[in-house]
Amino acid sequence: MSLFSERRVNRVLARLWVAAFFTFLLAPLVVVVVVSFGETARGGLAFPPKSFTLHWYTTIGREYLTALFASIAVAAGSVVVCVVLGVPAGLGLVRTRWRGKAALAAAFRAPVQIPAVVTGVAFLQFYYLLGDAVGWYGAGTWTGLLVAHVFIGLPYVIGSVVAVVQRFNARFEEAALILGASPWSVLRRVTLPVIAPGVYSGATYAFLVSFSDLPVALFLSSADVRTFPVLLFQAMDYDFDPTLLAVATIIIAASFVAMLLFQKWVGINALLRSGQ
Amino acid sequence: MNLPWQRFLLLPLVLSLALLIASQYVFLRGSLHADLGVGRLGDALTLANYRKLFTDSFYFDSLWLTIKLSAITTVATLVIGLPVAYVLARMRSRWGPVLLAVIVAASFVTIVIKVLGLNIIFATNGGLNRFLVGSGLLSAPITLIGKVEGVAVGLMYFTLAFLVILLYSVVLTIPRSLEDAAQSLGASRWRMHWRVILPLSLPGIVASGLIAFNLCMGAFTSAALIGAGKILTLPVLIQRTVIFDTKYGMGATLAVVLLLAGLAVNLISILVVGRLKVARGMTA
Repeated sequence: MSLFSERRVNRVLARLWVAAFFTFLLAPLVVVVVVSFGETARGGLAFPPKSFTLHWYTTIGREYLTALFASIAVAAGSVVVCVVLGVPAGLGLVRTRWRGKAALAAAFRAPVQIPAVVTGVAFLQFYYLLGDAVGWYGAGTWTGLLVAHVFIGLPYVIGSVVAVVQRFNARFEEAALILGASPWSVLRRVTLPVIAPGVYSGATYAFLVSFSDLPVALFLSSADVRTFPVLLFQAMDYDFDPTLLAVATIIIAASFVAMLLFQKWVGINALLRSGQ
Repeated sequence: MNLPWQRFLLLPLVLSLALLIASQYVFLRGSLHADLGVGRLGDALTLANYRKLFTDSFYFDSLWLTIKLSAITTVATLVIGLPVAYVLARMRSRWGPVLLAVIVAASFVTIVIKVLGLNIIFATNGGLNRFLVGSGLLSAPITLIGKVEGVAVGLMYFTLAFLVILLYSVVLTIPRSLEDAAQSLGASRWRMHWRVILPLSLPGIVASGLIAFNLCMGAFTSAALIGAGKILTLPVLIQRTVIFDTKYGMGATLAVVLLLAGLAVNLISILVVGRLKVARGMTA
């Protein structure tokens, strides 16, 4: 084979393209991580830093940690509600014999089609109106934010459950029924364990949708109720505190660790299949 | 298996429909009422907001900018992402799953952090700009803040990782044996890509592209942070109209137009692709 055979040139081009892609994709993340360990001059944040320090990690402010934990709590809470509502909904959607199933599926998917900013304003106004009517004002409360995050996260859980139930081989269930199990115990001991990967990936998406949401939280936040993305957004607009880079680095590291754990326990393919 | 499946649906359906209708109805209804200032709406039904949107060039420009930016960034991300998705899907080495996991993990990180990183990279006193200006490649430092190009880059970061994941699953649906067949029949690799892979994956590419396009149309964070009040896409304008001007009526009108414009572009692309496929079928 000659040095410049078509095959070899193609392979080199493909590798260069993929390398360029990863450089582009990861550059902002790498920069945040590196600068978070950097000594910062008065003039602001610059890459590359002159020397390295752990200073920003030891001085992370209490309000940033509070916001980070609040983000995690809201995301976890909304995932629990999404799973409790989404698993029966996904099962019902595939198994029921209603004619209007397609319309129902579209209705469940609707929140994904609505831009997050619109969802944010809509919930804000809805909460004002609800407050005037029943005396409970949802805007600026954790419950209000959680309900809105359930709204935007639920389609992901339903979508992944539907995807996995559709591929599910009904013979396993039939076998268990023939062997004398009751339908409810088949559901609990056969169906649910088999569709579990779909539930995990749906829950992962719902968690991420909530954890990384800015637009919805921006409208529903208050001085006491602020998630980490909202805090970061406000800090970037006004005065920037380098310890935020340390918290951002923790989030980046956690994302990669979470991905590795998911791949190890559930398998990345479950995540890809339900992404459609 | 016979279980009361309809009953499974009842509670989730009632709850999500209630939230959908209650929130969207309350907000979008406002588009038909005049703004009286400080968040109050008039009682009479009117189309004045819509008339203003299509006659006032300020609003119309924003709509056009949003569609244009979303279309350009979607095409750019498709061009960048498609070869990557193909290479990853066909990779036999054990690095394949690792690279894929890195992309998925990158898509997990909130866009606010990515924009923060971009701001540091393109800081005027940053290493990149000092290098570019110092070496004489550029006369002035590049900045993203307040620039259309900057917002486009931000939008690309919003969708790129996710789009590659979608395209990866599209490529996986094309059997490798088809490629071997094309090549054993004498097609070059380029010809095989052009005549076999691309046509087969076109529906998937369009579907993934539309998902990315819709995400861009609704993208707030990168447009707001990088646009810095100078580049006003519709989502940014909606937020400013509601929060700073407290014009809920106009904000709702913009939201309706944003939803409809996105829907229209989706329908048109699906029709165009349907036509392409029909034409292809007739010549084949």
